[in-house]
Amino acid sequence: MDKKSIVKFDNVSFRYEAAEEGEKLPLAVDGVSLDIKEGEFVAILGHNGSGKSTLAKLSNSILIPESGTVTVDGMDTADEEKSYDIRKTVGVVFQNPDNQIVASIVEEDVAFGPENLGLPRDEIRKRVDDSLKAVGMYEHRLSEPHKLSGGQKQRVAIAGIIAMLPKCIFFDEPTAMLDPQGRKEVMKTVIKLNREYGMAIVFITHFMEEATLASRVVVMDNAKVVMDGTPKEVFRNREALRNIGLDVPSVAYLAEELSKSGVNISPDIIYEEELVERIEKLIGDR
Amino acid sequence: MALIETQNLSYIYSENTPFEVRALDDVNVQIDEGEFVGIIGHTGSGKSTLVQHLNGILKPSKGKILFDGTDIHSSKDYTRSVRFKVGLCFQYPEYQLFESTVYDDIAFGPRNMGLDKDEIDAHVMKAASFVGLKEEMLKKSPFDLSGGEKRRVAIAGVMAMEPKVLILDEPTAGLDPRGRQKIENMIADYRQATENTVIIVSHSMEDVARLADKVIVMNKGKIELCGTVDEVFSGIDRLVEIGLDAPQITRIFMDLKKKGYDVRTDIYSVTAARDELLSLLKKKGVQV
Repeated sequence: MDKKSIVKFDNVSFRYEAAEEGEKLPLAVDGVSLDIKEGEFVAILGHNGSGKSTLAKLSNSILIPESGTVTVDGMDTADEEKSYDIRKTVGVVFQNPDNQIVASIVEEDVAFGPENLGLPRDEIRKRVDDSLKAVGMYEHRLSEPHKLSGGQKQRVAIAGIIAMLPKCIFFDEPTAMLDPQGRKEVMKTVIKLNREYGMAIVFITHFMEEATLASRVVVMDNAKVVMDGTPKEVFRNREALRNIGLDVPSVAYLAEELSKSGVNISPDIIYEEELVERIEKLIGDR
Repeated sequence: MALIETQNLSYIYSENTPFEVRALDDVNVQIDEGEFVGIIGHTGSGKSTLVQHLNGILKPSKGKILFDGTDIHSSKDYTRSVRFKVGLCFQYPEYQLFESTVYDDIAFGPRNMGLDKDEIDAHVMKAASFVGLKEEMLKKSPFDLSGGEKRRVAIAGVMAMEPKVLILDEPTAGLDPRGRQKIENMIADYRQATENTVIIVSHSMEDVARLADKVIVMNKGKIELCGTVDEVFSGIDRLVEIGLDAPQITRIFMDLKKKGYDVRTDIYSVTAARDELLSLLKKKGVQV
């Protein structure tokens, strides 16, 4: 049976308002149709200005489409009365952790969302503790956020979203401002949320290696979806990706080079383990 | 004689308070004229603190910094002159633009140097061309530009002082692949055209391997390693141990080595990786 749709973009277009009256900005999102299913892990790639972030903001009624519809778990995001329930269902984590933290103690920050839902005290306590444990920040629950590293702060921001028990989280380049260590911490957390908690993840990124971790990759260019498929299917289009300012993981280049040099190896390889396995197999078969 | 040299440089943030942090601990580095240096290390290793000493923004708690053989804090005038000779571009410099036009923002440094109008104009135009800003862009407000463009304006502002040493603190952080590529090419072109010393601070071993001749690795406020790209990256296991991320290509070789294959692990480019794998396969008698 087909999985249930959690966020469905149906022929969605959106443009930002121009600063001057009478002027019209180009469409930031142009006729996008995209169906995110329950429990799916989707990466969205695209260069700056391709419309990725706008898509994230359209997903939980921060922005409302100019035309087309966004449906979250059966609710139309244009329906203002539903915006509360929509935001409970779909959470968004942004790029800069410093802009997302509101309280001066970690656990108070995570409690902000559930408190606003008017939940009983015990339930809030439980949700805050569970969320902090899920992102590995429980032992820092009484810390001051400004004393944490970037990766830690971003995980606190993620805990704040998890505490709302959403079915889907949009991550808008959550690792762009982090160092390699912080990036690893956040990626590990995201994968855990998907695999162990079954949350649908939409992960917007510039890092090709991060995108290979998803089960589906969507590529945006000029406000439109230009590719949609498994990581392997998408990264096969090397030239096209390069032409729109994106790249492929360096392992893919290596596999291509080896194949050109006469090694019996598929040029479609995009994972390190895959390449190592293939080399071992070639040697073992000898 | 080295162009810049630090002698037993130590720096302590919030000294004599409970929040005391030793950010630099007895650092001795020498940077020669015309060198292209990459400084890598994880967050908090002291990279940014070190470069902020090189043009006198931070004053050492202990030790000194020599520029052209003279202590940069030997007199106020000398410190001031070093600020123009050692141009430092901070992380996320696009947040530091403030003038009403791109032109004025780039001209801020040259104006402070006391140059006359024509000289200022020459400096601005030259810097703008290094970073690929078109003339019509110079009249715009910096706030109407994209993130990548803003960053190029900020870098041009430092280049416009025509410093003998250009320091860029994480110049490609947060940019998309195209933006990263553009900035990298621009830095390489600048360095080729001017033959000036360039220092870049980065998390990325890949970027540093591509651009720099000499690499300084920082860890816990100390110099962990210093040498050519090959020398430093031959100790890749140690680099990973201190929290740096090995390039994806390199990780393949570390993995093969762990599995008992006799391969080099100081591989960080696709061509070197191809050659090393081809030689491994041939050695094992695989037809290629």
